[in-house]
Amino acid sequence: MKTIVEGKLRAIDLSMGWAGPLLGELLAEMGVEVIKIEDTLHFDWWRGSLSMGPPELQVIERSAPFNTANRGKIGATLDLTNPRGIEIVKRLVATADILIENYSPDVMPKLGLAWETLAPLNPRLVMISMPSFGSEGPERNARGYGNTIEAVAGVTGLVGYHDGGQPYTLSNALGDPSAGLNGLFAVLVGLREREDSGRGQHIELAQVEAVVPYVGEAILEYQLTGQVPKPRGNRHPTHAPHGIYRAGSGYVALAADSDEQWRLLANMLGIDALAKDARFKSASDRKRNEDALDAELSGALKDLGAEETSRKLIDAGLIAGQVNSAADVLGDAQLSARGFYVPIERAVVGTHLYPGVAEHFSETPLIADRPAPLLGEHNRKVFGEILGMSDAEIEALERDRIIGTLPRQFATPKAA
Amino acid sequence: MRYSSLRNTHVVDLTHHIAGPYATRLLAEVGADVIKVEPPWGESARKAGPHRPGNSNGDHSNDDRGGRFAFLNTNKLGVTLNLKHQRGVELLMRMLDGADLLIENFAPGTMERLGLASEDLLKRFPKLSVVSISNFGADGPDRDARLNDLTLFARGGWTYPVGEPDREPLTPPGSLAQYIGGLFGAIAAMQAMLARDLTLGHGQHVDVALLEAAALTMIYEPVGFQYSGVVRERAGKRFAIGPFMIVTLKCQDGYAGVQCVTDKQFENLCELMGKPDLIIDPRFNTALQRYVNNDALLAIVEEFFLQHDRKWLHREGQARAIPLVGIPNVAELLEWEQLTSRKYFETIEDPVLGRIQIPGAPLRMGSHRPEPSRPAPRLGEHNREIFCGRLGLSDRELTDLKAAGAI
Repeated sequence: MKTIVEGKLRAIDLSMGWAGPLLGELLAEMGVEVIKIEDTLHFDWWRGSLSMGPPELQVIERSAPFNTANRGKIGATLDLTNPRGIEIVKRLVATADILIENYSPDVMPKLGLAWETLAPLNPRLVMISMPSFGSEGPERNARGYGNTIEAVAGVTGLVGYHDGGQPYTLSNALGDPSAGLNGLFAVLVGLREREDSGRGQHIELAQVEAVVPYVGEAILEYQLTGQVPKPRGNRHPTHAPHGIYRAGSGYVALAADSDEQWRLLANMLGIDALAKDARFKSASDRKRNEDALDAELSGALKDLGAEETSRKLIDAGLIAGQVNSAADVLGDAQLSARGFYVPIERAVVGTHLYPGVAEHFSETPLIADRPAPLLGEHNRKVFGEILGMSDAEIEALERDRIIGTLPRQFATPKAA
Repeated sequence: MRYSSLRNTHVVDLTHHIAGPYATRLLAEVGADVIKVEPPWGESARKAGPHRPGNSNGDHSNDDRGGRFAFLNTNKLGVTLNLKHQRGVELLMRMLDGADLLIENFAPGTMERLGLASEDLLKRFPKLSVVSISNFGADGPDRDARLNDLTLFARGGWTYPVGEPDREPLTPPGSLAQYIGGLFGAIAAMQAMLARDLTLGHGQHVDVALLEAAALTMIYEPVGFQYSGVVRERAGKRFAIGPFMIVTLKCQDGYAGVQCVTDKQFENLCELMGKPDLIIDPRFNTALQRYVNNDALLAIVEEFFLQHDRKWLHREGQARAIPLVGIPNVAELLEWEQLTSRKYFETIEDPVLGRIQIPGAPLRMGSHRPEPSRPAPRLGEHNREIFCGRLGLSDRELTDLKAAGAI
């Protein structure tokens, strides 16, 4: 089967961490030729720190997040502090359709890679910049990672137990996937506009602005009611039960959003008497007596198995699910049946399961089963095949340590 | 705000609730012509809150919309069609002629029951792509199971590591999972058009699953678990216990979040705390030592945060290049100078709710300036414009269709 773009588009990915690399990875899944450029000294920080092990262990090739977020890319290195390195970036950009970067706003201009410099080299270029807070505003240079962006965008303040206590950061550095996905959408919009106008453009995506829409309803609640929304824990504003309960060694999440569902739930858990209890008859009764209801449900569930109970409740037509750990999720029945996790063999680490795709195209499937590149793995391809450099030129770049396959900290200069 | 990048893109929007309307909201925000098709009694989210208190003595059953609908449906045109009525389906077919996209988030099987199977539509309208957004996807053992955000995030792996180690895990707030699913829907729509124009020459069907969207946006710990054999457990105020400090801490007037990941950030944090001696303290002088002695380090940082307020911590931390922020509530978020100076929030004159501020576009297209957004349509607001203006029906036919219950 064909891919979405069949290699007809090329992207240059200068990004690091998760947000930008995720965008590049999702483009690679579409059949875009994505060239990831890393500096051999300041390589992608999601590879981890060299201090975590001796050189022979190749620790920077053993990062699960890096190896997931960079799948299917062509990996090349360049010294971005060297004018020769920057010249080569420009030559690559001139051949590309898309350029991805997620540095702080000042970095690209400092490198000599400002939009104003690049646009004349390639009028059809769609460039996306993904600074944490935007290129303007009093906090344009402020530092933010996934979790700090989530916090400052208003999400963390809404995460907490219903009975008080502190706010909690979510588990997944929310700012990053939000920016990566919105960034992909933005690039696709830029490409479609280019079909009409014939011209590329520079798109800015401030990561924090990609997260705020998730609290849009809370923002409206405040404006319309005058009340500042507080964390609700696992509870729902109007119906109960709606919670997470210990079940054996695990946890079950469940909810009943009607009286009928509640009676069915009580029946499935063998606590029919509770369904007739005056405290729990209607939704408003259950909501009013939710503490007592949760205590009863906790008692009923505590000695059951989480997986079997979840399955039984789901099959009965109830809203339920096991709280899956990182290990459990690999065995989730629905994800497994749809073949969500895909095995990939990668150098240094071997074969593992990686997350697949959430969009299933009837004719142009996304391709998520190719490994992430080793540092500088495709230098020859990028500089020889794509830019047409001779072997002698490439060797000169290696000798001068403009390119390399080892962190510059380890590479010993060759005798000239 | 509304850009015009997709001015030549025509979308027929059969979605309801959150995920589907968010997908089409994103498309409308960048200029797509989105016609939202609702049943004559309105889609379910029109009834959802938040509402202004006091309206109709707390009874909102006759309201045209609440806050959710007003937010999720800006920049769309609204028509009504009864898809269980033959003439309703006929009108839909006329709307699909020339459309690029049909987007729907009915339960799997519904489109087939309405006589709108995607295979048939794709045959009849070669240019069209059909994007279906559903909870679990178009197949698999749980295809028809019920789901909400609570159970979606529980299964997708997000919930397990959040909260206190000795309490139940905490789910993400609001309807976050639906929004992320909607984002995938909008991406799928753009990708289907790109495949049509670049590779296939015709449209196709895309099946988008919310559970997979959640599992995909979970940080890559299912992979990390296979590499290391270690499962991340709940670590309370800490994101996780590791060679870093990603933590949410109490301060004088609320809470602040800090991410201290690199050696440099740790050194800067020590300077901020006025404790430069910690930089060479053998308990903390390497990432590994900070992992081993995480509790001791946390106790020091916690005590320091308690002595300052959010504004001071945010300003002084950022002055030292530490990702450190005060945690706002949504009222404070609306006043945050970084966002207000960028005119991020957009003020809408909603015909029912009055003046409201909503989050603006996350992307800024460099090619042109955006226009102000149009408020979400009233039920059937654009029936005449679409059915008479575009499809050429007469006033008489419109009246007949209404009488027949088709619109």
